[in-house]
Amino acid sequence: MGLKGSKSIGILLKIFKPIGMLLQNNKSKAGFMLLLSIVVFAIVGIFYTPFPPNAYLFKNSLPPSYSHLLGTTGYGQDVFSQLIGGAAPTLMIGFSVGILGTLISVFVGVLSGFASKAVNEVINAIVNVFLVIPGVLLIMLFGAYFLGIHQNLGYFPTILILVVTGWAFGARTFRSVTLSVAKRDYILSSILIGEKRLSIIFRQIIKSIMPVIVSNFFFTAMYGTMGLTFVEYLGVGNLQQVNWGTMLYWAINNEAYLVGEWWWILPPAILISVLMFAFILLNFGMDEIANPALRVFKVKKEKVKS
Amino acid sequence: MITTAIPVKYIFKRLIIFVSVFFGALTLNFVLPRLMPGNPAEVIYQDLIKASGGTINTAYLHQLEAEYGISTGKPIYVQYLIYLNDLFHGNLGVSISFYPEPVSAILIQALPWTLFLVISAVTISFFIGNRLGRYAGINRNTGKDLAIDLFSMFMAAFPAFVLAFILLDIFSVYGKVFPIGGAYSSSITMGFNLPFIFSTAYHAVLPVATIILTSLGGWVLGMRNNIIPNVNSDYISFSRNLGMKDYQIKSIAYRNALLPNLTGFSMSIGLSVSGVIIEESIFSYPGVGMYMITAINNLDYPLLQGIFLMVIIAVLVGNLIVDILLGFLDPRIKQEGE
Repeated sequence: MGLKGSKSIGILLKIFKPIGMLLQNNKSKAGFMLLLSIVVFAIVGIFYTPFPPNAYLFKNSLPPSYSHLLGTTGYGQDVFSQLIGGAAPTLMIGFSVGILGTLISVFVGVLSGFASKAVNEVINAIVNVFLVIPGVLLIMLFGAYFLGIHQNLGYFPTILILVVTGWAFGARTFRSVTLSVAKRDYILSSILIGEKRLSIIFRQIIKSIMPVIVSNFFFTAMYGTMGLTFVEYLGVGNLQQVNWGTMLYWAINNEAYLVGEWWWILPPAILISVLMFAFILLNFGMDEIANPALRVFKVKKEKVKS
Repeated sequence: MITTAIPVKYIFKRLIIFVSVFFGALTLNFVLPRLMPGNPAEVIYQDLIKASGGTINTAYLHQLEAEYGISTGKPIYVQYLIYLNDLFHGNLGVSISFYPEPVSAILIQALPWTLFLVISAVTISFFIGNRLGRYAGINRNTGKDLAIDLFSMFMAAFPAFVLAFILLDIFSVYGKVFPIGGAYSSSITMGFNLPFIFSTAYHAVLPVATIILTSLGGWVLGMRNNIIPNVNSDYISFSRNLGMKDYQIKSIAYRNALLPNLTGFSMSIGLSVSGVIIEESIFSYPGVGMYMITAINNLDYPLLQGIFLMVIIAVLVGNLIVDILLGFLDPRIKQEGE
């Protein structure tokens, strides 16, 4: 048992090796640090907020002061408490959309890389449908129907909508990556030796495209965060819950920008862009790691100069 | 070796994709309302009962159902055929929030404005983005490269509608440089004359600038990552050894990097449409986005479905045009297609 356990940990380590690779690249390192600090902020927010985030306890629209670090909203809620309490749900949605969307796109992409030509064409057509349709239209259509049901389903509809609109781009990437990997000689030799297809997919294909998977995860997580703001802005999300998207929605709907209540609208806007910036940095850095043509070889550069 | 033959096979393939995506979207639009528990007509009917205190004739429910094309009695394929038939006769139903205006009449007014914003934003951002990406890629690993990369990444990460608010605040509310809303000045009659064109362009500056700023990143980073392998490739060192000038070499590498970047056009159209639709209500721009917010707030399903269909048709046609142009530009596609 113990031996088996350590073996599976070894396999896990091998599969998740690219996460260690994140720290090799300056861009992804910066992104990782930013993401880590937001995660810490969110964890603190789960256990402690100065005031209950959604309670209308104070005077409306107080400017920032010692008792209210970022002032209060037009409804008398404490902005800082909302910001720190809303961090965890925002991150949760970004990560869930990233993980679920990537799982679906890896499944579809790898499947179509190995499937027969007819199946491949069908999958390709479906991927194209979702790629071409502007995401906001599907958000609107799905969102309006969930709104029409009049049931409190928490964040489920939001995540579902964003996964449905966000998986197609990755599927296309994985399809082309799988096609190029599947043509290599070592895969052919494994097939000839008689290795099972499932084992080839997991032991060789998934492992070799892992950097692309990680990069795609960050891209989809960024889409999830951006999509959350769209969903909430359009008013088809769950507006009673506190997250950075709903904070923006209420601030904008009360025209905080017109009456000069910058402390209500800017903090969630800035934190959302920092979070998305972190995801983009990670995605871009991972691309540089996955694509050797973009890698920076410092030694080579010095040689050329001298 | 430039051949002028038309890549028939390629165009044919694109047309098949066009038709399949089109019917996919039509079907989605048909299936979605029927998947939900309690059709939209019933939902609105229940809302009305709640609002009025329970004194609404059940005949109204049937009327609503008829307006949505939902006929619970008929089999599903008959409903689908009725839906398609209505659609091809331009009958998109009657709007609820702008009753009794038909949906098609609203869309005919609104869609041109949205298309105008999207087309200008996509083309301008394509040119600026690719030039910036070329500059970054050629000056790779310098301070300029890093500055351009970080700027475009940060802009891509900034929520478009928040940027719209900030620009509106700075330039219209406080600066009073640009108008707060509308597509053209109300004192000017609509028509093909100079004042109208100037007024339209003037009103479009802020909305278009917002989309350009937020959609620039994709082009910049794509171009940068495409041109780097090109600059380092053998054919470039060969041309250099042949004694070609620096600017000639750059333009060759740029052109070769541009083609793969063009395939990002379909994604870019989709993203820009999303951005424009979201920001139109902020700039009070009379496009489909403004009607969409009203439609969502009133659960105006016929209008929502009409917007969905019309925007998708526009996006699909745009994609088809770009794809066919690409077929003529890209020698690799040409070879495959003949």
